[in-house]
Parts: sequence; structure tokens; C-alpha cells
Amino acid sequence: MRESYLLQTPPAPETVTPRAPFGGLEVAGSRRVTQITHSEVCTSDAGIVAQVLAGDVEAYRLLVERHRDRFARFAVRMLGNREDAEEALQDAFIRAYRSLAQCADPARFDHWCFRILANRCRTRGARRRRHDALFVADDAALEQAAASGGIGGDGTDTSDIDRVLEQLDARSREAFLLKHVEDLTYESMAALTGEKVSALKMRVKRACERLRELLEAQDG
Amino acid sequence: MDEELEPGLERIAAAARRPVHFDTRFDDRVMAAVRRTSRPSAGAPRRLAIAAGIAALMLGSAWLGRRTAPGGDRSAAAVRGTAAADRVVEFVVLAPGAAQVTLAGDFNEWSTSATPLEATGRPGVWSVTLPLPAGRYEYAFVVDGERWLPDPNTPRAHRGDFGLANSVITVTGRT
Repeated sequence: MRESYLLQTPPAPETVTPRAPFGGLEVAGSRRVTQITHSEVCTSDAGIVAQVLAGDVEAYRLLVERHRDRFARFAVRMLGNREDAEEALQDAFIRAYRSLAQCADPARFDHWCFRILANRCRTRGARRRRHDALFVADDAALEQAAASGGIGGDGTDTSDIDRVLEQLDARSREAFLLKHVEDLTYESMAALTGEKVSALKMRVKRACERLRELLEAQDG
Repeated sequence: MDEELEPGLERIAAAARRPVHFDTRFDDRVMAAVRRTSRPSAGAPRRLAIAAGIAALMLGSAWLGRRTAPGGDRSAAAVRGTAAADRVVEFVVLAPGAAQVTLAGDFNEWSTSATPLEATGRPGVWSVTLPLPAGRYEYAFVVDGERWLPDPNTPRAHRGDFGLANSVITVTGRT
């Protein structure tokens, strides 16, 4: 379905069309929409992968352009800052390039590359925590969020959201992002992470409980 | 949709959904690095070499009799070989009661499904053999898809985000 979709002429930039956040992965609902951009050219991921493997290195840029922003959002939300996120995403794209021949289903390059990215985020997040440079205490995060209109409020800077998300442990944060930001089904999350559905549900539940606590602390 | 958020949490999720843009200079940096990287092969996955070695791993306190060359680094010495490009490393783990064990690491892009271990016939003992070029690799076992286990017999890289440290193995080049 995605293949045929991508072969159509892209609509005008202002057109908003439902689309799975990751090719082939089921989304949990239809409330989320993704704007089609001009960079989503009429070439399938599988076609580009074949082109790269045939020796056209520069064609890889099309895959980077196509998936960069979607992956960037996940990396920034996971790691809490752009610098680490850029490094993790760059690393993921390079690793994906090196291993491109091992991508079992090139039509789902985005799914495969996202898995690499998720692992790079885990590794980089661990290194960052080791140096403990950016971890923000609850009070500081709440104070900053409140100053900009409250958590998730209209005036909230996304950096405040990143600080709030940092209050979640990494497992819970990843599960919350995959479920409620990337809108994946639990089955797709399980395929992506290798975790059991039951474990993922528990992590999402814990994440929601923790965020509720933060909201209550803010309101209180 | 199988799970709705209440308004407070939905506001957080909505804020987290706001787009993040990296500019085209990011693409330039990636492509510059890609051009410096060896080209991906369109052929079959890396060929198995005929070398042999064992990195024996343990789970909990149970030993499996790791074979180690004398005087060498633990992980490096656990890998030996005689063949061309790659060394073959056998990863062994004792995981009684496990239904499935996989190996995730730098060598398989941390896939939790790409490298399953097979039951050896000895109770609770799982193993897999991998060809690895010389280099340093971080890895861990994944038991039943959810328990990440480092190797207590090899050095740790760092504590992971999930409360576990990755193990490190260094595969030495042919001498």
C-alpha cells in the first residue's frame, strides 16, 4: 500500500494526508497526520536502496532527506537535546548505510533504520547519563515548564517538554514516545524493540503515571 | 485507537509531536561520512571463516568453562582463528528456563531478533557462532525478548540506559 502511495504525485505542501509514521507499521489511530513534503519524491525506499547497492552512493541522500525529520524528533525527545540527537541520528544513518545489504526488507528501510536509531539513542543516552551533564531535577523542569505556560501548555517550548520527558526512565520514555508520539500499535512497538507487548504496556502505564505526578505537582 | 490519553497527558504528547527539523547541513555531514565509508556490499552477508574460538559466557553465578588463551585480554584471548578475513566467535550462555535467547550488539545493529542462539542439548545452555572482523564490539544477550544480560566475564563498556552494562569483546586481527 505504501509503495503505491509513494508512486503517486505528491500533493501540494499544504495538503495533509494520513500516513503511517513508519512504513508498514500499523498506527494506533487516525488522529495523527503527516504533511507530505517535496522531498518525498516518487521513488520507493526499496528502489533507492537498490540504487545505492548498485553503486550510486549519492542516492542515499534521498533516504536521509526523506526520513531525517521524523527520526530527528524521536532522537531529540529521547536524548533531550539536539546535539546528542544529531550525533545519534548521523551515526544511525551511517551504520544503516554500511549494513544496507543486510536490510532484509528494503521497502521498510525506515522501520529498519529506526531500530538502529533507537539503539544508538540507548547507547548515547547511557553515555550522557554517565557524565551526568544534562539531567535536570524535577523541580527545575517543572519550574521552567511553568514559566512557559505549564507542561504541554500553549506557550510551552519543546525544550521544556524534553526536560519533562527526561523525568521518565529511558524504557518508559521510549515506550511513551513510540506509543503516543509515533502512534505505533503495541504489536509494532514489539516488532521494533524486541520487547513483549505486556512489558511495553506496563512501561507506557508507568510513563503515564509519572507524567500525571508531574502534572499534579505543577497544579499543586 | 486502543488507548486514549486524558487531556493533561495528551497536551504533553501533542507538544512532543511537534516537528523537529535538522537542516540540509546535517544531510551534508551524513553524506560526507558516507562517502568516507566503505560501500555496502550487495552480495551475501559476510562469509563464515573457518577459525574457531570461544567466548564463554555465564549467567548468574554459573560457569560454563570458558576457554581462554593464556596471558591475553579476556575477550580478545577468547577469540582465535586461522582463516582469512573474519574470526569466528562462539557465544555461549546459560539461561535455564528461557524460551528464546538472542544476541544483540554492534555487529547486528543491536537487533534483538537477528541473531538467535540455539539450544545446545545441554540443559539451559544456548550458543551461537558468528564471524567477526577484527574490531571492538559491544553486545548483550536478550532473554525471552525482554531481559538484557551483559556478559560478566568480559569487560563492560558502560552502564546502559536500561540499567545494564554492555559487554565488550575485542576481536584481534590475524597474526
